Amino acid sequence: MNRKTWVYICKKFAQLVLTLLVLSLVVFLVSRLAPGDPLRSFYGDAVERMSTEQQEAARERLGLNEGLLQQYINWISGAVQGDFGISFKYKQDVLDVIGQVWGNTFILTVICLVLILLLGMALAVFCVSHEGELIDRAICKIGVAVSSIPEFFAALVLVLIFSVNLGILPSGGVYSIGGGSLSDRAVHLILPVSAIVITHLWYCAYLMRNKLSEEVRKEYVLLYRVKGVSRRRILWVHCMKNSMPAIVSMMAIFLPHLLGGAYIIEMVFSYPGLGRLGFESAKYHDYNLLMVISLLTGAAVILANMAAQIINEKLDARMEYDRTEHAEENRNSCPGGGSFE
Amino acid sequence: MNRKRPYFTIALLGVIVLGCLFAEVIMPCDPTKMNLAEVNQAPSAAHLFGTDTMGRDIFSMIWYGGRISLFIGCLATLISTGIAMVYGCLAGLAGEWADDLLMRFTDILMSVPQILPVIFIQAVFGEPTAFSMAAVIGITGWMAVSKMVRSEVRQMRRSEYVLAARMMGGGFFYILRTHLAPNFLPSILFMVVTNLGSAIAMEATLSYLGIGLPANIISWGSLMALSQKVLLTGSWWLLLMPGLFLAATLICFTELGEWKRMNGRRERLI
Repeated sequence: MNRKTWVYICKKFAQLVLTLLVLSLVVFLVSRLAPGDPLRSFYGDAVERMSTEQQEAARERLGLNEGLLQQYINWISGAVQGDFGISFKYKQDVLDVIGQVWGNTFILTVICLVLILLLGMALAVFCVSHEGELIDRAICKIGVAVSSIPEFFAALVLVLIFSVNLGILPSGGVYSIGGGSLSDRAVHLILPVSAIVITHLWYCAYLMRNKLSEEVRKEYVLLYRVKGVSRRRILWVHCMKNSMPAIVSMMAIFLPHLLGGAYIIEMVFSYPGLGRLGFESAKYHDYNLLMVISLLTGAAVILANMAAQIINEKLDARMEYDRTEHAEENRNSCPGGGSFE
Repeated sequence: MNRKRPYFTIALLGVIVLGCLFAEVIMPCDPTKMNLAEVNQAPSAAHLFGTDTMGRDIFSMIWYGGRISLFIGCLATLISTGIAMVYGCLAGLAGEWADDLLMRFTDILMSVPQILPVIFIQAVFGEPTAFSMAAVIGITGWMAVSKMVRSEVRQMRRSEYVLAARMMGGGFFYILRTHLAPNFLPSILFMVVTNLGSAIAMEATLSYLGIGLPANIISWGSLMALSQKVLLTGSWWLLLMPGLFLAATLICFTELGEWKRMNGRRERLI
């Protein structure tokens, strides 16, 4: 990596810190806007069973009688030292609770990301090599239709078919009771992964298809044809190589969508991960936990953008930094571009 | 590129929307009436889409519940589009520095998937109602549109008519209404239509998961939540019937949005 890259990484890192700061401020203010008592965010419904003296004491102890700014500063100074507060529901440090499950979400998301990337490329190449034909138009129509089905419904239909009617796949959880072997975990991943891939595949495949169809109109393709290189090789090797930077930055933009989908799927399948945790913390008003989950997700997305930038630089040395304008165009030219952001 | 008007989509959407608006005319039964003699029945001639665990007619409930779902979708979209227009115009008309700051802020908000802020703010708001859900979905879903508005406004902020209006003392909202909005509306329309669909999907998702509308307010999502307990007993109609309605509506909105996107683009000048 050259000097420019390091400057870029440092700049991005500063941006990451700044972003997290702003994000935490937003999340903090929202959690303090809770009508009634901010004590609720710490003790939940248990507040109703506390006496007035107890409530006063708790307020004093948690520093809730100080100004909002001071409270936020207190929270931040705790957070910097790794103290994000206690999860009300689990009566544990927030980081400990998250530490137990984040790996599950990570596995789920990475598998989906890789599958979507590979299947998307295959679909894009297929569509481009049949561009304008009936099959291409049919795939486009079906893709748009399928990608607008909500994740939870797709998941439920899959459960109905494969768990209820055929009884071959488990309908939830991360492993069976007493199980936990690799194959057992893999079997439990099939339905959640398929639900996510089915509903999100077209988002990527469509962008790749458009990018590829732009690429095959360039002159170097003609040169390869003249040299006698097979169509398949041109598409898969040469055109794909040239569209790779665009695809990589697109995958980074796509990550918030994917994470949102994964969270919903986790809730449907009771798959213990960040989404499931977020759902529970919302249900039990566990704001501390929800706050850290939001921050973590934001950080993951920003890190993914940084990673995409670095990968792109490896792929194409001419790559200019800060190609955000280009990325935005991609986002806007997407089916359902405004959804689940 | 000019695409054919999607007549089929418009017709299907029209049937669904009109059917929901005039649900009383179509409904064969009272959707809230519990007929304990006919509990959990599969679809038949008497109950087209079957009945639920409390003997309510699913067919009637779908039309009746669609009203709430569509209402939430429309209100949420109105709110998000309103915020996006004001915010986008502010950023577009502001100087470089403020514009950069405002857009960075939307980037930050966009780095978190919508589902998280929605459940977060909804938890803060307390017991969900149709209004609060629409408000929450609206105030968490404006970012993408506002970026689009901003880049459109950026292109026309230097144009003579905007300058003239500013010099004659036209206020921000005056310029927004008379000069900016008519110009950028066609190009954001497709996103607005897609947002409408995703707002409906969001409501259904939340209600299905049990953190949205309570079961006594019938919407497509809370209707599907009923199927949660009976799914393993094989009462597929509880899930599939409202789900297919929901999916059909969403597909129509996406199709419409796609068509708008292809048609709404400004003609290329070069």
